[in-house]
Amino acid sequence: MTYYSGKNGTLTYNGNSVAKVSNWSFSSSVDTLETTAISESERSYVPGLRQATGSATIFYYDDAPKPLLERIIGTSAISESDILSLKLGWGSKYVQGNVIITSGELSCAVGEVMQATVQFQFTGAVTGVSL
Amino acid sequence: MSPQGPDFPSYVPSSRSLAMGDFPSKTFTSQSGIQSTVQYGSRRTNQTIDLAYNNTTEAIAAAIYDHYVACRGTIYTFGLTEPAKSGNPTFHLGDSSASTSNRYSAAPFGMKYKYAEAPQFSSIKPGRMSVTVKLVGVLDS
Repeated sequence: MTYYSGKNGTLTYNGNSVAKVSNWSFSSSVDTLETTAISESERSYVPGLRQATGSATIFYYDDAPKPLLERIIGTSAISESDILSLKLGWGSKYVQGNVIITSGELSCAVGEVMQATVQFQFTGAVTGVSL
Repeated sequence: MSPQGPDFPSYVPSSRSLAMGDFPSKTFTSQSGIQSTVQYGSRRTNQTIDLAYNNTTEAIAAAIYDHYVACRGTIYTFGLTEPAKSGNPTFHLGDSSASTSNRYSAAPFGMKYKYAEAPQFSSIKPGRMSVTVKLVGVLDS
């Protein structure tokens, strides 16, 4: 039996490891489609569409968050080439998929290490998972 | 007599709404303001029923599609099966008599249904569709 903690966490994009990751999170959800017929007294549902989102906070150490921030902060238009292959890992386990960076946030405050926070939306099904 | 199509597919809808229509009549208003209404017929007309099948299977959607084709669109009249009228048992008792309990079909009063317009099909996800149907009751000799 193995516990996992933050030190086991990794974040890679297009095969490249992102340094100085403070935290990441992953969330998957599925819509429900109501199929209750008029003759029923209890609501019934079938699974609808599934989606996954996530976020990551990265210390601004050298250019650690730059490759991710460049996908959302820049002077050129966003294109499909900005879709990344992202892998969220912990130990030997991982969730991997293609993502669009949907928001990027920089925070700089007195007495705190500068950080960047990115949120991302998975597009399509996850391409790999090991839970 | 209108051409008769097959009965409406036997599926329970997600929602249903009924508008009763009215008896044929004409109202005259005299110069003094007195109103007189003359009833021309003893049977209601233009009863409408809207049915919605939300997130239903493609098989049910296909059955409704095929039924519309079999009824030549809005031309043929047809009967409404009990599943399409189910869900309010004290409002509609499902009998075949001319009693007031047969409120949805109104068939005993000489009324059959036809499509008021083409059904609308919305694709929700693979394997699931939503369908809306508008029917209007017509008197049939």
